[in-house]
Amino acid sequence: MHIPDGYVDLPVAVALAVASVVVLAVAARRSEGAVDGERAPLVGVVAAGVFAAQMLNWPIPGGTSAHFVGGALAAILLGPHLGALCVATVVTVQSLLFGDGGVVVLGANVFNMAVVEVYVGYAVYRLVAPYSPFGGAFAAGWLGITAGALAAALQLGASSAFAYETLTVVAIMGVGHLVLGLVEGAVTAVVARSLADARPDLWPDRSGVSA
Amino acid sequence: MCGPLRVRDWRATAALVLLALVVLAPVFGWAAGQVGYAEPLENAAEATGATDDADPVHTGLLPGYTVPGTPTALGTLVAALVGTALTLAVATGLGRVLADGTDGD
Repeated sequence: MHIPDGYVDLPVAVALAVASVVVLAVAARRSEGAVDGERAPLVGVVAAGVFAAQMLNWPIPGGTSAHFVGGALAAILLGPHLGALCVATVVTVQSLLFGDGGVVVLGANVFNMAVVEVYVGYAVYRLVAPYSPFGGAFAAGWLGITAGALAAALQLGASSAFAYETLTVVAIMGVGHLVLGLVEGAVTAVVARSLADARPDLWPDRSGVSA
Repeated sequence: MCGPLRVRDWRATAALVLLALVVLAPVFGWAAGQVGYAEPLENAAEATGATDDADPVHTGLLPGYTVPGTPTALGTLVAALVGTALTLAVATGLGRVLADGTDGD
């Protein structure tokens, strides 16, 4: 889902960079004091885990691959604001150090994966978790990554490189991630429940995921 | 509930889990390469003729999660290690900046 430079028109890229900066600034402000000093390294561990997990491309016979993105999981574990900052850190490192995702379109990639996926995923989790925490985590991962992909598809479809073929891009990316997102949902649900079961004291607001 | 020993426990466990993910990166990279994988974004670019418009402004120090001049698997392993460590450092720093200044209970 990492968009390279050249795929998105400059005005679109600039608008999304501004939007991402605004959202992350608000997220940082709302995250102040959200963790105590002892648990502060958890933010690093979750972000590093998301980075490492994103490197695992799951081969799917037929020539497709899926990799875990982790936005919804980060939101469930740390809350949406810290989750967004975690994923934004990951996406930035990927772009600057590894050239995975463009620099000019960094704001767009942050918007899709660290804003849309995280906040949509968290909203879905909050809606479903009261009925089924495990199901909520699954739906959050599944629909969160699909929402992020749809956001990317709309940006690409509104750009000249993709000949403004918005419907084609939305269909390919939307359907593709709707299917691949089942893996994201499964991993999100299993990991969230495992972590909540193993150390509920570390995730004081998320322990309900194991119920 | 979270005394110093317990804190060290979870940090050691987290480090082991991260290390396991890093070690798995070359294995998954090889396996994905065997199926000639493509992501939906790449499929959409091909369908609309956008593929040739990709124009990287910056390839990064370790382009494509490889280390230039080293075998692919080793390069992927090093890239995973460096990227995970850097992300851990940056996000931990972020967490400390945003922490409330207490040490928990």
